[in-house]
Amino acid sequence: MGIFLCDCGGSLKNIDFPKISGDLEKLEDVAFIDISHSLCLEEGEKAITSRILSENINRVVIAACSPELREHKFVRLLEGLRFNPSLLSLANIREQCSWTREGDVTEKATELIRMAMGKARLLQPVERESVSVNKEVLVLGGGFSGMKSALELSRLGIRTTIVEGKSTLGGKLKEVEGFYGLKTSPKQMLDSMITAIEKDNNIEVLTSAEVTRVRGEVGDFDITIRGGRKEFSLSFGAIIFATGYRTEILPQDFELKPGGNIISQLDLVEMLRAPEKLKRRPETIGFILDVCDENSRLPTLSSLNNALAVREKLGSEVYVFCKNLKVDSEGAEELYREARNRGVVFLKFDEPPQIYCEDGRVAIEAKDVLLGEEVVLPCDLLVAEERALPPEGTKGLSSMLNIGTDFQGFYQDENVHLYSAASARKGMFFVGGCRGNLDLRRALTDIASAVMGSYSLLALGEAVVEVEKVRVDPEKCRACLTCIRVCPHGAVQLVRLDTEKEVAQIYDLACDGCGICSALCPAKAIDFKGYADEQILAEVEAMGETNERR
Amino acid sequence: MIIAERKPFEEIKNMIVGYKRILVVGCRTCVTICWAGGEKEVGILSSQLRLQSSRNGDELSILEATVERQCEKEMVTQELGDKVQDIEAILSMGCGVGVQTIAEIYEEKPVFPALNTTFVGMPEKEGLWIETCGACGDCFLDRTGGICPVVRCAKGLLNGPCGGTRRGGKCEIDPEKDCAWVLIYRRLEKQGRLDLMRKYYEAKNYRKVKRPGKIEALEA
Amino acid sequence: MNVDNNKIVAFCCANSAYQAADKAGKMRLCYPDNVRIIRVPCAGRVDVVHILKAFEKGAAGVLVMGCQEGACQHLTGNTRAKERLKYAGDLLKEVGIDRERVKMVNLAPDMAQKFICEIEVMMEKIKEA
Repeated sequence: MGIFLCDCGGSLKNIDFPKISGDLEKLEDVAFIDISHSLCLEEGEKAITSRILSENINRVVIAACSPELREHKFVRLLEGLRFNPSLLSLANIREQCSWTREGDVTEKATELIRMAMGKARLLQPVERESVSVNKEVLVLGGGFSGMKSALELSRLGIRTTIVEGKSTLGGKLKEVEGFYGLKTSPKQMLDSMITAIEKDNNIEVLTSAEVTRVRGEVGDFDITIRGGRKEFSLSFGAIIFATGYRTEILPQDFELKPGGNIISQLDLVEMLRAPEKLKRRPETIGFILDVCDENSRLPTLSSLNNALAVREKLGSEVYVFCKNLKVDSEGAEELYREARNRGVVFLKFDEPPQIYCEDGRVAIEAKDVLLGEEVVLPCDLLVAEERALPPEGTKGLSSMLNIGTDFQGFYQDENVHLYSAASARKGMFFVGGCRGNLDLRRALTDIASAVMGSYSLLALGEAVVEVEKVRVDPEKCRACLTCIRVCPHGAVQLVRLDTEKEVAQIYDLACDGCGICSALCPAKAIDFKGYADEQILAEVEAMGETNERR
Repeated sequence: MIIAERKPFEEIKNMIVGYKRILVVGCRTCVTICWAGGEKEVGILSSQLRLQSSRNGDELSILEATVERQCEKEMVTQELGDKVQDIEAILSMGCGVGVQTIAEIYEEKPVFPALNTTFVGMPEKEGLWIETCGACGDCFLDRTGGICPVVRCAKGLLNGPCGGTRRGGKCEIDPEKDCAWVLIYRRLEKQGRLDLMRKYYEAKNYRKVKRPGKIEALEA
Repeated sequence: MNVDNNKIVAFCCANSAYQAADKAGKMRLCYPDNVRIIRVPCAGRVDVVHILKAFEKGAAGVLVMGCQEGACQHLTGNTRAKERLKYAGDLLKEVGIDRERVKMVNLAPDMAQKFICEIEVMMEKIKEA
């Protein structure tokens, strides 16, 4: 092996480099030890280049500053010299050695270099290959988020297929009355999007269809789709899930049954579309929020919007009973103020209100927190609370894909700060309502993220992959399914070999190199090149050698 | 498959007292899958024994090996053949069958069991194994919708339930357990075979299988 | 400084602790020479065998340092490491080694002070023996 030591422009004064060189060059598998002032600059690169081209070495150890800073650079340099960069081992003798104290740290530095050497001896080459990836994207769900994603991808030249479970596109756009603060009505938006999609050659639409199976990995997802009575398989490079949400009216715990005086938001919207058809104008309309579900972003928005619509079209008195009034969506605060300015009255409760029927009207009784008094409000109409829930089939889909869901069942909310629209599974993105993000602005952000994410993965039509960097030895594999169950990136699948044996196999492109599978495999069948058990143990051994030598 | 678990360290330690050169041998089949005696656990136990002996100042050298299947004589000899020469004692991390197989092949070497073989079962989820079959030798799962009351009913009833089922379908004896017969009822209901619940079944003849069991497939 | 059998092996995850250690160096925060940092891609990569081997080879304490809860890039790596360390502690106890000689530490990549602090805590623990 060839060893390069860097003294960082001569600044690492508390390390005696010549002494280290003297100690280590005696070892029989060391071809040479070079001391340089700046391996990261041209001088150093030239030194490395000339050594590699002239000497017959098969391992390189570099002791310098932190790998976090320079690893990529050294890797690229070695690649350029056709020396497999997986045979490089690094020792951090600056940030984690020289800079840790004033006095002489030569002994520690020597040991760190020995640890890197111990590991280097066991490193194996990993080949890098270009694999082609399928550039097409599957969009699951034909609602607003799905359609928008497909249109945006099309603008970037990516072909998509929208798979929609119902017979027409549109999703919730077909039901919603208005968009908070936007002049375009949902109907206009829907019509213009459908027209755009019909004209777009990059977008194919499959309605009354559903996905029954997802296999494979990013770049080559094998999707089984069932439409009508036919079932067929298609391949896609990435998947964008836009399966939306559903609303549940009068959830069980509310203990009310819908009836003449208690209506849903949808009923109200119908009513407002044709107010002249009403037999009698309701004088008082009450809204209830936050009783069953305090995460009421969307219901709050709908209620505010509809409350304003009522004031405008019917002129009725409107009272909104709420606990929290979740106005953290864009434009929601303004909507709330406008509602107040237009005379909507808001009452805040702490204990859930009592609701009962009296004299043909519905009465709401609650203790108003601000007044400190019990308030009884008889209404002609009560618009019942709604809860936004993940769509049917989410549970099945998420367990099939091994994607987590949050406590309400929406997709993978718990890791939102690491993966905003992407998921732990490379190539799978989640946008819009199915993520629990139920307002337009957030949905648009998701979509932009997902579109850029899938574009950057697939646009080139190929991806560079480290071939079998993490590999399951089929001889040792017992198919205990542990690795398949624990891989956070869904990169391990069960395959049947030619010998008919079923073993786990790791997908190179989907693998993110965490090593969790390797640590858990009870049969020790998973070899993680670069961080294999024997390589880590070699580092530990080298640390111990100094003690034994004393 | 066979589910086993490692004995407490104290017990294992006491078994090998006085021996200076031992072989710790695991098995790549059942005990690997239940995380008890695979290559990994061989490494862990060996490490522990080395740490223990160096702290006590004892002399102990350990050779580690893992056999494909400890219950197959050929596989044992293939893997261990060249390793037992200078060994004083063998610590097997296989199930009881494995321990005995090794003991029979290397009769002069003391063979010690590092595991307790506990039951025949399956992984319910990662890291959790449950007993589901009692190996009674007279399977009647056809009548119970695929749920075994010999193992899963605390009283081993064949014509359950006992009438003491607790609320929530829990067992009278062990409230943590589901009443097996409630589960059986629900299963048969799904299959439309509830008529089976009305049939009376004779008591089980546990002597049907002679112990130790023996099955001969080929004529002499 | 006599560092015989006083070594602390710190398995540091590349996404958090390793960077925190680098930052400690940049800030010139001092800590003793007996710390050996081994870089791993995720705390979840560290196996019980690695920890036991470290003790066999002269470590007096082992730290496994990974990302903060909920921030693991691989979702479950740090929680698995935590569980595994409990098991490692049991194994150490069985051979008469104080189970607190192995410890799980969660930190963010910029927490240089916490990195130093945890090393000092482990040093104290080792001195107790």
